[in-house]
Amino acid sequence: MKYRFIFFILAYSSFLYATENSYGWNIHNSSLNIGGYLDMTYDSKREEEFLFNDIAMMFSSNNNRFDLLGEIELSHISVDGNSNNSSDIDLKIERLELTYALSDDKSIKIGRFNSDIGYWNQAPISILEDTTTEPYIVKNFFPKATTGIHYHQDINRNSSFSITFQKNNDISHQDNNIAINRHFALAYYGEKEEFSWRLSLGKYLNDSSIDANYIGIGSQYDGDKLVIQAEIFTKNSDDDNNKNLYSAYLQSTWNIKDKHDAIFRFEEYKDNTIETKEQIYLLGYSYRPSKNIVLKSEYIYHQKLPLNRFVYSISVLF
Amino acid sequence: MRLFTILTLIVTLLYPKHLLVIGNIDFPKEKLTKEEIKAIFLGKHQFIAEKRLLVMNYKYNSTIRVCFEKSILEKSKHSLERYWRKAYYQGKHPPKVISSTKMLMLYLEKIYPSIGYIDENQAVDIKFKTLFRVKCNID
Repeated sequence: MKYRFIFFILAYSSFLYATENSYGWNIHNSSLNIGGYLDMTYDSKREEEFLFNDIAMMFSSNNNRFDLLGEIELSHISVDGNSNNSSDIDLKIERLELTYALSDDKSIKIGRFNSDIGYWNQAPISILEDTTTEPYIVKNFFPKATTGIHYHQDINRNSSFSITFQKNNDISHQDNNIAINRHFALAYYGEKEEFSWRLSLGKYLNDSSIDANYIGIGSQYDGDKLVIQAEIFTKNSDDDNNKNLYSAYLQSTWNIKDKHDAIFRFEEYKDNTIETKEQIYLLGYSYRPSKNIVLKSEYIYHQKLPLNRFVYSISVLF
Repeated sequence: MRLFTILTLIVTLLYPKHLLVIGNIDFPKEKLTKEEIKAIFLGKHQFIAEKRLLVMNYKYNSTIRVCFEKSILEKSKHSLERYWRKAYYQGKHPPKVISSTKMLMLYLEKIYPSIGYIDENQAVDIKFKTLFRVKCNID
């Protein structure tokens, strides 16, 4: 009951605090901004069909050359108020990062941050994504988060590269898709007008001391009415389940009319655990009644696995 | 038909003919390219001469802002909303919204380095540096 109360308070707040293209509450006479997001999903193939996937608070502040960014999250809360099947509240540090601008075009960041890999990992929350479900690549090829150091440099106005390094335990490792204690990654990003492209490669050591390395490329066309995105990743590891994996997807999002988008995604991946090559087709529709709320529905068709289903969600950014 | 022509003429008259992107009189650069201005107003480049830049914009739907977004940013309202949602999650914030050119000029006089834009034909009494001039494109 108390979680429903929290949900309604947050949802109500979201209608009040989202003006222009800014979100959150700006603390008067300071650079501190506090906001957050929440999303609720329905998935007919999940044990808990209805879930509050995420309820998160974010804060950010800057001072001269420093930028602080934090994100604390309650995740997977069922409608009866349990978090990850436990009645205890499970709070996680999703991100806690301090960035220092070394110069106009170079910066260094320490803390826990989203790995600078691929398109989806830069905005891995439902309100920012066109679909409720994510491509297979996102959760299976590289660590979502890194606890370490990140160096970023602009090469020119249209391209940049970054280096990520971790040689310690993850400060919130129960939250990571792959539990790691080592990670080294290089990423390149370029753009020209509506087109952009990414190259990422890296190596990590998971908590079971198994090495893995990955490489991926992706490209995106980001037009006013149409967004097309494609990525391909491959991964190799000593672990039999992660040997010579690959996955690729192509997604298009068509803005049918103001507030209404239609989405199509095709993806293919190789899954060693069940020794199969799977193909997935997704057809989705999203409606954004205001710029900080989205309602999404999608049908997912699996060619081999018995996972065909409808998924629905509502997400709010505040 | 005549009413439509008159309305079109009124709308056209409301929009500035040219915009000037301006900075403090001692702004560290003499000129900026359209690409550089775009990067600054989208929060991709926040520092200049190793100092954090104050970036100013007008209120949503004001004629001068519509002109700026079409002519410099070259993005629709839908694209800008999508862009700022992601940027907010990454810790970026949109330019400071000011209500008038007078207020913009006050910030420009007090805070260094700062950048904004004005209608070329608007009279202002504070010295500034013109960094870029663009024809207002509202098609």
